Amino acid sequence: MKGKLTTQKVMAVLGVVALLAAACGGRTAGSSGGGGQLATTTKPGTKPVDKVVWAVYRDVNSLDPIFAFDYPENTTDSLLYESLLRQGPDGSLGPGLATLTYTDQTTLVFTLKPGVTFWDGSPLTTDDVIYSLNRNTDAKLAGFYPAIFSRVQSITATGANEVTIKLKQPDYWFQSEMASIPGMIIEKRFAQAQGSKYGTPPGSIMGTGSYKFQSWQPGVAVVMVRNDSYWNPAVKPLVREIDIKGVPKDDVLTSALLTGGINGVFAQSLTTLDQLKASKAVTVTQGPGWYTDAFIVSDLKGPLGDVRVRQALSLALDRKGLIQAIYHGTAVLPRWISNPGTFGYGKSVFDSAYNAAPEMTQDLAKAKQLIIDAGATGKTFTIGMSQDLVGINTESTALKAAAEAIGMKAKLHSVSPDNFINFFIDPKARVGVDGFFTLNYGDYAGPEALLATFLLPDGSQNFDLYGVQGTDAHAADHVKAFTMMDDARSTADPNARAQKVVDVEKFIATDLPWIPVLEPLVPVVTSANLSGSYSSFAYMFSPWADKLGGT
Amino acid sequence: MRLRYFVRRLAMLIVSLLVASFVIFAAIYLAPGNPIAALSGGRSIPPDSLRVLEARYHLDQPFLVQYWFWLTNALHGNLGISITLRENVSDLIASRISTTAGLVLYSSILIIALGVGLGILSGLRPGLLDTSVLVITAISASLPAFVAAIVLILVFAVQLQWFPSIGNGVGFLDQVKHLTLPAFALAVSSLAIVARVTRSAIREEARREHVQTAVSRGIPTALLIWRHVLRNAAIPITTISGITIASLIAVAAVVEVVFGLAGLGAYLVLSAQSKDLAVVQGISLLLVTAFVAVNVLVDVLYVVLDPRVSLGSRQ
Repeated sequence: MKGKLTTQKVMAVLGVVALLAAACGGRTAGSSGGGGQLATTTKPGTKPVDKVVWAVYRDVNSLDPIFAFDYPENTTDSLLYESLLRQGPDGSLGPGLATLTYTDQTTLVFTLKPGVTFWDGSPLTTDDVIYSLNRNTDAKLAGFYPAIFSRVQSITATGANEVTIKLKQPDYWFQSEMASIPGMIIEKRFAQAQGSKYGTPPGSIMGTGSYKFQSWQPGVAVVMVRNDSYWNPAVKPLVREIDIKGVPKDDVLTSALLTGGINGVFAQSLTTLDQLKASKAVTVTQGPGWYTDAFIVSDLKGPLGDVRVRQALSLALDRKGLIQAIYHGTAVLPRWISNPGTFGYGKSVFDSAYNAAPEMTQDLAKAKQLIIDAGATGKTFTIGMSQDLVGINTESTALKAAAEAIGMKAKLHSVSPDNFINFFIDPKARVGVDGFFTLNYGDYAGPEALLATFLLPDGSQNFDLYGVQGTDAHAADHVKAFTMMDDARSTADPNARAQKVVDVEKFIATDLPWIPVLEPLVPVVTSANLSGSYSSFAYMFSPWADKLGGT
Repeated sequence: MRLRYFVRRLAMLIVSLLVASFVIFAAIYLAPGNPIAALSGGRSIPPDSLRVLEARYHLDQPFLVQYWFWLTNALHGNLGISITLRENVSDLIASRISTTAGLVLYSSILIIALGVGLGILSGLRPGLLDTSVLVITAISASLPAFVAAIVLILVFAVQLQWFPSIGNGVGFLDQVKHLTLPAFALAVSSLAIVARVTRSAIREEARREHVQTAVSRGIPTALLIWRHVLRNAAIPITTISGITIASLIAVAAVVEVVFGLAGLGAYLVLSAQSKDLAVVQGISLLLVTAFVAVNVLVDVLYVVLDPRVSLGSRQ
């Protein structure tokens, strides 16, 4: 392959050049792909590979799982550490380092698997498990997952290989969190010796994963190698070394993928995806996503407090245009707020209800009528956005156009890209803003993981205080969503629980506390001679490279 | 006289560093964004964790208090801790310094060898060669480094696959191979400018009376060029080379980003974006020092080249 020039390659790179000049990709024809039937893994590799360089959108900041809160850290930690339970590539919940039994509604007994060892050969103990879980709630460490443990009463060893978690009240969401980042286990003795250096560049780490940490040079890569004494002999990874490298620029990533400097990436809204699809040097696969692209309604006191206005905007939005403009075909129209990729349990219940729901498509006539009914003609609302974040800018402009098409007015309140985050964390930044766009996800394959963040009164993303008396004029009605959520949280049977979440989805698909925009897929780009990684969003939480290899 | 010159330059350096550190600190402080929030990539960090982390890095203190913390620590040789990586800034800088130094050195060699070389050739050989050098340098002088980088990647990485397009490489030869395209991208416009200045300096010197006299006396061409033309043309050549090489230190950032190199410039850009104050301060001060050092070096070279110039003279 070396030295040989194909027309596609030249076209691909010319595309990159054009992109740099225009900073905006042209629209091309392409199918929008289908939901539901997407493969969650790529074909297992068959040949050993010495080294793979995998790209993430920025450098890894920490290798301590309590600080893993974003794509680069999750992608890396899911290879190095293992959780008590594990989410399969399809999101299904199964045993991980332990198996789970409920002795009653509030007692979870985790039995550690025999023979599990850390990279240094020490066996996994209940001490390690208790220590790792408690680090999540240690205020001095300031980890990012304390809220997950809000219903936990105690975590104790109840046997040589048994850890029991007592809950204050039933919480059937907690088990899935134990199959996600908060359930990842590190070695207590090693971590204590490292102290505050644990998971930092000068420090080191100790996990149980099928890949073990080798080195980390910030700005270059996190280097991990196959753990040849992995505790599960059935798992034999084919790739000897995996380097995780931060590559922030789409054009840099694209030329590196085409020249083999980078061998793979789980991409999100990559502006050069069409060029990559056209190249023979790489393979592009699309798998189910667990994230949602949505418009967050952050103020119910303004015009968006009227549900008819929210419905009208949802009906007026040109979603099909956005699929191409932002996701280059790798997203599908929503039916609910939640991405169907998140149906990790109660699948048949979720699937049949989801497929029966209508796709959210454009209907300007109906939208105009709703605005007239609501008496909102000529009213203005403000969209928080950043002109320099390409995707956010495109969506905000599209919503403005939608509002104007149905007789409303929309103002764009633009901030710098770095300031955009403040809409999420600073109430002052939200003053005078009626809503803003987001690409958001929960910790595991269950729709409630994301729903809880904006439907619970104390949810981290319930910015408009939806359902809260005193701030939400329709609280009496909206609080239904919260009670239904709470009911689901206490329901043991997965199908029954799914049914309750379905009811919430149906309610908010009409009431629209967040307006669903699109359900993005996971585009996986690898060198053409490489295959076997996960192709679903599960790569954020589970070992995605055990079957990666040459073809 | 020489001692006084160095003392004065040192004093100027210290004042520059102080002023620069304050201005940069203030600029980053006033810039939008939250360094803790940059850790989560947009997800909502629990408020309690946010408060603990802000207190740990003194982000909850007023501006002047924060600056005072930084300054007193810096004077004790402690440049602080990176918020994003929780590692000492001096260690983080040390690990990247060789990439940037290597890149700037590689580019400087290209600029001096090729720039001065082409300039001399075209200065001494009017005709087709001279004209083509003029045309080529006119184009490449106006070529920004990032455009040169894209063209080089397209031709030599993607098409011919001679050089890699990303990363630092391991081991000396591999590193040189990885730095080749970045060094050319960085050098290309400066190289052209140096070539053009060299050419005109040579032309000007060659027309001087003493050179014409030397020609009429039958002095051998090589000696004539070396002693009478080059020696006198050296001052403008040194000046332009010094200025362009000093500017490479700043422009390197652009090239490092495009080639995914773990250098100081790329790191500066990244840290400024995530408001990682201590890192921005550390790298900026280092760059200011390097810039001043290159200028001192140029001053010293003047003295060596022209005995009439003395260090610290205000001519």
